[in-house]
Amino acid sequence: MNAYDIIIVGGGPGGSMAAKTAANLGLKTIFFERGRKPGEKNSSGCGLGPRLWKDFPSMMKELTPEKCPSMRAGSAARNYFVNKEGVVAGYIMNHPTESVSYEPAKSWITMNCYRSEFDPWIADFALEAGAELKTSTLITNLLKKDGKISGVVDEHNNKYEAPIVIGADGAVSMVAKQSGLRTKWALDQITVTPQYDFQASPERIDDIMGDEALAVWWSAIFPASYQVFFHDGFHQGLGNWLNKWDKNPLYYLNRVINLKYYQRLIRTLDAKPRELQSHLLPWLRYPYNTHTDGVILIGDAGGFPCPLEAEGIYPAIVTGKAAAETAAEAISADNFSKDFLSKYDILWKKTSVGEEFEAGEELYNIWKALPFSPQETMTWFVPMFMEVMGGIFDWSQPHAKRVRQIASQIKSYMPKALPFIMKYVFPLLAKIFEEDLDKMMDPQKLMSAIPKIMDLLPKKKKRRDET
Amino acid sequence: MNFNDLTKHISGSVDYISIDQNKCNRCGQCILVCIVNLWRKIDNIISISEDYKEKCLECAACYQVCEADAIEFQYPSGGTGIVFEKG
Ligand SMILES: Cc1cc2nc3c(=O)[nH]c(=O)nc-3n(C[C@H](O)[C@H](O)[C@H](O)COP(=O)(O)OP(=O)(O)OC[C@H]3O[C@@H](n4cnc5c(N)ncnc54)[C@H](O)[C@@H]3O)c2cc1C
Ligand code: SF4
Ligand code: SF4
Repeated sequence: MNAYDIIIVGGGPGGSMAAKTAANLGLKTIFFERGRKPGEKNSSGCGLGPRLWKDFPSMMKELTPEKCPSMRAGSAARNYFVNKEGVVAGYIMNHPTESVSYEPAKSWITMNCYRSEFDPWIADFALEAGAELKTSTLITNLLKKDGKISGVVDEHNNKYEAPIVIGADGAVSMVAKQSGLRTKWALDQITVTPQYDFQASPERIDDIMGDEALAVWWSAIFPASYQVFFHDGFHQGLGNWLNKWDKNPLYYLNRVINLKYYQRLIRTLDAKPRELQSHLLPWLRYPYNTHTDGVILIGDAGGFPCPLEAEGIYPAIVTGKAAAETAAEAISADNFSKDFLSKYDILWKKTSVGEEFEAGEELYNIWKALPFSPQETMTWFVPMFMEVMGGIFDWSQPHAKRVRQIASQIKSYMPKALPFIMKYVFPLLAKIFEEDLDKMMDPQKLMSAIPKIMDLLPKKKKRRDET
Repeated sequence: MNFNDLTKHISGSVDYISIDQNKCNRCGQCILVCIVNLWRKIDNIISISEDYKEKCLECAACYQVCEADAIEFQYPSGGTGIVFEKG
């Protein structure tokens, strides 16, 4: 008899953490993975956030290059700004700044590591805790008895019973669908993200990139594209919501690859394309329908990636733990009702993931309107930003005159920039500082003030001897 | 770049993507989002390439984008289909 206390569908980071937690709590636990091993069907997100080390220190200190040879610390990030002519108009490199408050976040922004190595690594913790893993097993439906969830069934009609099922099956979740929690995502809740993996020698990456093992290519001609370096290679990918594409996503990714600047980088790194991947990544304002009678959804299946940057591994691990803890309580109370399982929402909302979603709507809106709206926004944002960053160190005019030129140039972007600031920046600030916006500053006044200040800048400066 | 050189598949799956012509409204969204161009429109009929199991990235974008619910999608049989070694 295949009877368990808890069933987990999916052997990604979320499923493995749920299985580890459940087994540690003494539950008879099984988790299923459709790949021949965890990580074989990974969803490719490879930058591990430092909050993992903060919250799960004893586990994370065991992540070493011996176990995951592809590890490379993303100690610094490059931000390239590509204008509408496809020219890299400038770039900024940043290390973690002085306000960052703990290690390892002070040392690096992300720890990069292929998921084909990370997912089996984290699954081992579940196995050590006593959970059972069934690989090469596609779960196709939920079992129901007297209208209640009673387990799962695989494609060969093998049945596994448990009073509670955790959906850790990623963006296209069978558990979400069969439990009636969600048939499909709305088009503005899900992105598609194609990605190339390039091979390059570790020494060249060390020499050419140094600490700068992360990059974002902000652009007016493609949605923001990220670059993540590993020990012997790198990813280049980009995504956008399913209702935002006017051409094939690969057309835009190839635009990055075909930039003159990028081609030079490929040549200097002597990089060769090695793999092509594409995945869906849920990206929403706020998770909804996270549980029902006998079912809890975690990680991507529950829509938990961060609303700003879609960091999803940490949220999957945090919600996996919260779901297993809720399940253990439900088992003790012998109560698997939706109402009882709402403890899950209380739990995750108290975590760092819950805190992230407090400004979920504002973060989501600004991000979507900025790097993911290349034509509408980045066409003015990139030149405006570069005007500020790069304009002054220019020898074409006396510097005071340059400042006036720059100011007048910036003024010309204001008809587009001001509405943007009003619509996206102020609401975000108001949310973050938890204060009514008009108490901080009156946007109406500010709106009328900024252009006036710009007008006050004299066109010509009086000469010193004239005064 | 040739996609086949950049992907690795294990064969043996049952069919896992199908289209219901009665529901399809020929909007072309599946064609637009498929990274490896497996969907096509011939004589105003939308269909998926016959060798899709050897090429599909299993992203499910075609399924997700279809607002007419004309595409049936399930992952390929356990232990088959695409393998991401560097993902
Ligand atoms: C291109 C890309 C880049 C990203 N970059 C980052 C990043 O840098 N940092 C970050 O933190 N996040 C990143 N993310 C997000 C991150 O990858 C996900 O949020 C995270 O993997 C979610 O973990 P999960 O365990 O919920 O689901 P998944 O990792 O998707 O795991 C689900 C598992 O379930 C299995 N499965 C699915 N259905 C079934 C079934 N029916 N039966 C059996 N098994 C099944 C799958 O094979 C898979 O192993 C990125 C995502 C993408 C697509
Ligand atoms: S997306 Fe759906 S409705 Fe549109 S063409 Fe494709 S199958 Fe038909
Ligand atoms: S799952 Fe992805 S790769 Fe496969 S046919 Fe659909 S869109 Fe194309």
